[in-house]
Amino acid sequence: MTRDEILQKTRQVILDCFPEMADMDLREDTVINTDTGIDSMGFVLIICKLEAMFDVRIPERQWKKLSTLGDVADAILKRLPNA
Amino acid sequence: MRFGRFGDLLDHWARETPDGLALRYGEKQLSYAQLREAVHKRAEALRRSGKTCLGILSDGSMDCVVELFAANLAGMQIVMLDENVPEELLQRLIVYTDADMLWGDPELAEELSPALTGGVEGGSGRILFFTSGTTEQAKAVVLTDHSLCQSAWNGSAKLPLSRSDTLLCLLPLGHVFGFVCGLLWGLSCGACVALGRGARHYADDCDFYRPTAVSVVPMLLGFLLKTGAVNQELSLILVGAGDCPPALLAAAAARGIRVSFGYGLTETSSGVAISVSGDPFAMEICPDDTVTLAEDGEILILAPTCMMQGYYKMPEATEAVLKDGIFHSGDLGRFDAEGKLHVTGRKKEMLVLSDGTKIFLPEYEGRIMAALQHTELAVIARDGRPVLVFSGEAGQEELARQLKPLMAQLPRGQQLAGIHITSEPLPRTATGKIKRWELQQKVSTI
Repeated sequence: MTRDEILQKTRQVILDCFPEMADMDLREDTVINTDTGIDSMGFVLIICKLEAMFDVRIPERQWKKLSTLGDVADAILKRLPNA
Repeated sequence: MRFGRFGDLLDHWARETPDGLALRYGEKQLSYAQLREAVHKRAEALRRSGKTCLGILSDGSMDCVVELFAANLAGMQIVMLDENVPEELLQRLIVYTDADMLWGDPELAEELSPALTGGVEGGSGRILFFTSGTTEQAKAVVLTDHSLCQSAWNGSAKLPLSRSDTLLCLLPLGHVFGFVCGLLWGLSCGACVALGRGARHYADDCDFYRPTAVSVVPMLLGFLLKTGAVNQELSLILVGAGDCPPALLAAAAARGIRVSFGYGLTETSSGVAISVSGDPFAMEICPDDTVTLAEDGEILILAPTCMMQGYYKMPEATEAVLKDGIFHSGDLGRFDAEGKLHVTGRKKEMLVLSDGTKIFLPEYEGRIMAALQHTELAVIARDGRPVLVFSGEAGQEELARQLKPLMAQLPRGQQLAGIHITSEPLPRTATGKIKRWELQQKVSTI
């Protein structure tokens, strides 16, 4: 699994949770809170879905460091079994 | 039941209902007798340690609750710290509060250990909570196990639970609303308290524990309803620590769930007024409290049993809000014809967000001004979340980029949810203060 593939799946999960963002340009440097307006509960929803999808666990204490889509992809990539 | 100390509470229920479930955390559980025994055993070890002030990096677990009660029993001062705030700030808070021992995530505790101090004398019974917005200028509010027990009784006198109830504790124990209304409320009634398993389980804790009551902040209520996470047995939701959209309360009520709304502050050990029937925003004053309104509508609170001792090491800040035993809340309110309290707004330059945290605007805006090197800006709330209004020429993406390092230092709920750019000057009073209400109205209509 490449970083780009993880980014693509992260975008898809965001759109599944928030279909109203379909027209939004979700790039790796998109700041989840400020650029998308997703609140902290929305963030929890996205992370839980991604964790289940990739079968990884990102400690809750690390969540505060996940600011952009790229940060999320990196956190997942780091925890993939073959990473 | 009204208890004087945490120890009295544990003794009473261990005697009355030794096998009754006190705490659940995932698959673990403790009866009241087991809880008492675990607390006494740990208290003995803490006494032997010779330490005087325990900083708790609260994770909401069963071990965390045992540690907290044990440290209190051992005569230690306790500081409730939020493990989600940046490490540098935590280090400063440890120094400020004289902690000489830490409990929590071992890796984080190790990282923070250089900040530990020589301890404190005479801190027995004290429990320090930070006001809901942990910021650079965070004030530690000095409460005691006595004031917290009185507050739990005060609330349960209006909203009693029975021993057959299960109260789900989803909120952080480091916030006084979570501590009193998520934990002590249940324990003081002899009910079972189910400790939430963390944010990743928000959507399934109700299904797992099958609670009959839960305390939430507005944002969490919205999440539970949106994700359909509410179980059939749930019959009471206590909402507090922030403005709640009426539509959310209506959605909960439509499921046949009784919804109560609570008003209180860290300084008053949580609850001052609670709605018990009818309009959820029309609140009855709790029995130990007396509420009056100042001429300008500010809510003034006399709460002899629940009031803070003061802000830790900040006598001037204490005197500014606590005058002759009366707390000047900074909130505005009115009484209706039935004598029920309605909170109508804020006098302080402060936003209360839908996740229950607070933003002190002068400080928050000052940091944004420094990051952007621009002073013509203001922060308002939209849907319970902070939004920047920037007056001047700028690109939204560029502003977001410049603010990224600052936002990364803030808890997620306090990060900006949006940026609004306007070429018009901000509305100001003759003395130059921003007319926040006018700005709020203006931006809301765009």
